[in-house]
Amino acid sequence: MSLIPQILRSLKNLPPFPMVAQRALLLVNKAEVSIQELVDVVKFDPAITANILRIANSAYFGLRREIHSLNQALLLLGTQELLKIIIASGATRLFGNAAPGYFAEQQGLWRHSVSCALMADLLARELTLAEGNLCFTAGILHDIGKVVLSLFVDQKFAQIMEVVEVQGEPFHKAEKIVLGVDHAEIGGEMARIWDFPDRLRQVIKHHHLNHPESLGDEMVLLIYLADLLVLMFGQNLGREGLAYAAYPEVLNRFNLKERDLEKFLLHFGSLWDDAQVFFGLLGNDHGLQCAHRG
Amino acid sequence: MDILVSVADLKVSNQTEHVLVTHALGSCIGVAIYDPQARVGGLLHFMLPDSSLDPGRALENPCMFADTGIPRLFRECYNLGAKKYRLQVKVAGGSQVLGGQEHFQIGRRNYAAMRKIFLKNNVLIDNEDVGGCKARTLFLELASGRTWVKTTSQEIIQL
Repeated sequence: MSLIPQILRSLKNLPPFPMVAQRALLLVNKAEVSIQELVDVVKFDPAITANILRIANSAYFGLRREIHSLNQALLLLGTQELLKIIIASGATRLFGNAAPGYFAEQQGLWRHSVSCALMADLLARELTLAEGNLCFTAGILHDIGKVVLSLFVDQKFAQIMEVVEVQGEPFHKAEKIVLGVDHAEIGGEMARIWDFPDRLRQVIKHHHLNHPESLGDEMVLLIYLADLLVLMFGQNLGREGLAYAAYPEVLNRFNLKERDLEKFLLHFGSLWDDAQVFFGLLGNDHGLQCAHRG
Repeated sequence: MDILVSVADLKVSNQTEHVLVTHALGSCIGVAIYDPQARVGGLLHFMLPDSSLDPGRALENPCMFADTGIPRLFRECYNLGAKKYRLQVKVAGGSQVLGGQEHFQIGRRNYAAMRKIFLKNNVLIDNEDVGGCKARTLFLELASGRTWVKTTSQEIIQL
């Protein structure tokens, strides 16, 4: 029996997307952003300035002097880096609850999303993607569908895994078979309700390359690859493990060899240590404790 | 007491209250070795097959790669009194995404590199849980040498 009606009903109770992240989204990739525009964004969430300073001063950015103000952060990091921090801080509210359908750990989905964002950011730089600035954000938000689908997946987990194990289907296809809809589709629907920019909505909806057109879309391919590499890296793996499909087309498109993938993983490994501050954004005490769980 | 082994890391111990743990192996591999007589054990979590990828990084952190990490794991256990002929060797990890026969093969290459090193050095693997698409956490209990894997779907496998 399809659960689609129930799942769609749960979308009606979707909380609003955090205002500060919503406003910041509109400024990503904009050619010139004034300090006033950024101040206008940040004022929606007073706690966010503290987070901005904490991240700007972390090992991840490796700045030599300490930053004490938003203005200084803007000067030293640049607008687009600052927007990434704002969006990551703003998005934490979506990830506050556990997603037991996918992760045994309370913060699993958040940690996976951050990892994917960091990997996407790394790939965007390495592959010099035109829309590079949006990749970090797309990484953070690519799995938002899991926030809604988690409870349904949890109920039917054994059945979904059986499809994976017996029929050899990737996990998201098994979701579709058992539930009638997969987490990428639900994510796309949430992006529509929240009025995300079109590009972002497309990436969320197609990040498992479940649509032939998506094989021609570089940003979709990049997020797909980032997701896969993060799964290989391990650490915050979900209950489904690595049960997602490998599409070699993505390697051809970016002209990558297996050895390049190893280099990305190597690079990611060192960056991941320095980026623990991002993981800690979700509830400070718990976050710090988790940061050491490796 | 759990002693955490993070990514590209190794820990050795002769303290019987210690349990060495490495979390959520994807395509990485965890190697657990244990000498039951000396009660010395070590756990390595390596990430990539071959240090020629970046010799500088391998010098900085040998645990990153199979060919530099595995010798170091054995050496550090010998330093605590372990003997090679008594060592029990258990491995876990090396998972793959689905359908990658020629591509996305880092898990398989990690496993092949490790086997090659073991073969060259006359080391036999006593037990393993490798491949597939599972995510695994690997434990080694120093008091008993008991080694087990826990998957993210909460399945427990004794090695």
